[in-house]
Amino acid sequence: MSELSLFLGCVAPNRYPGIEAATKKAFSKLDIELDELDGASCCPAPGVFKSFDKVTWLTLASRNLALSEELNDDILTICNGCYSTLKDANDELKSNSNLKETVNKNLTETGHNFKGCHDVRHIIEYLSQEVGAEKIREQVSDPLDIKVAVHYGCHLIQPLKESGSELVKDSVTFFDELVEATGASSVDYKDKMLCCGAGGGARTAILDATLKMTDKKLQNMKDADVDCIVNACPFCHLQFDSGQKDVNSKYHKQYEIPVLHYTQLLGLAMGFSPEELGVDMNVTGTDSLIEKIK
Amino acid sequence: MGEQEQTYKIRKFLEMEKLGLENDEDMMVPFIFYCTTCYRCQDNCPQDVEIVDAVLQIREDAVHKGKMLESHKRVAQMLIEHGHAVPNNSAGKEKRKKLGLNEMPPTVQGSDKGLKEVRTLLELTGFNKLVAGEQCKDTVNEAGVSVKNADYDNSIAEEST
Repeated sequence: MSELSLFLGCVAPNRYPGIEAATKKAFSKLDIELDELDGASCCPAPGVFKSFDKVTWLTLASRNLALSEELNDDILTICNGCYSTLKDANDELKSNSNLKETVNKNLTETGHNFKGCHDVRHIIEYLSQEVGAEKIREQVSDPLDIKVAVHYGCHLIQPLKESGSELVKDSVTFFDELVEATGASSVDYKDKMLCCGAGGGARTAILDATLKMTDKKLQNMKDADVDCIVNACPFCHLQFDSGQKDVNSKYHKQYEIPVLHYTQLLGLAMGFSPEELGVDMNVTGTDSLIEKIK
Repeated sequence: MGEQEQTYKIRKFLEMEKLGLENDEDMMVPFIFYCTTCYRCQDNCPQDVEIVDAVLQIREDAVHKGKMLESHKRVAQMLIEHGHAVPNNSAGKEKRKKLGLNEMPPTVQGSDKGLKEVRTLLELTGFNKLVAGEQCKDTVNEAGVSVKNADYDNSIAEEST
């Protein structure tokens, strides 16, 4: 019986569905069942909606959490923004009975009720803690001899920090370990923890300035001579992949760094084809990477 | 973001808020919306000031006073219309089909009941009215950065949460 429901969010299923396909394939190979979360909405995105009206943000988040509770599941996110929203909302509603009452008053009008009896997991944090790099290594049939720039993303780290997780207490390596379990080398690069630039509603408000941050990060990755970027968030993925084309045209750069979500990297190492994982559907070309791992 | 945009000084906005200047100074908008919420400043603050949380609170106060960027308003409308800030489109459907997935993901987009629930909640919390309010000026800021720049089309708005 499944204990996890897969929360898709917006960007993965609607812009980069390869991430959704890769998640399902990789989890099937790991023999971990995932329930579909029928009728789930936007998490809603923390940078914009939390800034507009916190009660609305909590209310929509509580509906998504309640849908998962109704399946008796913890909720699994594949996106840092969704993780930030759902984990923060879950923790806040669990610890503040007044807020919980306010939210449930509206939520019962739609036939749901937030109980606060389950947890929110991020796929990288889940794989690291519940599966482990060693077990993942056992499932790798096609080890990847490539150099990777790992991008954690701000909203993978921050919720873990706020909940006092051991994963972020000292040096942060849990994502690098999962990447290296695929055979790839996680290469160190300058200012590795810098934001991709997109978060907080900034991409919407001021695209040009966010691209300057992306440019800086891409340059640091390029200087480290990596074969690809591996992220844990479809929104960072979008900023690096689609944003890379924007950076090239605005700032006359020639970046050609393929961008993969971790589930796609894992899928490749498990023997799935790039086409099955949507690796060939990016804006920035991935041919150089596909050629290298043949 | 301060490293990229010299006019973006996060401490200035916190001070302005503290001094009660936020009503007089339109210049706080759109700057208060520039923060990527990366938490770098908060993590490094020697006085443990919860800077990002303060910025989010200042933003919420501004939105409730009707000071909202047009671009953010469009994202809010996406949520009301589709239940997603970034809804599916024809290219997304095509990719999903190629991957052997259903054209529509099993989210609120494929569920009339679910979308009705989301809209009910947005109505009950007053979100619909909030984001339909009068908009502030957000065309060109003092740094000359066009917020609604020429290539800022709807497809980018759709993908900008």
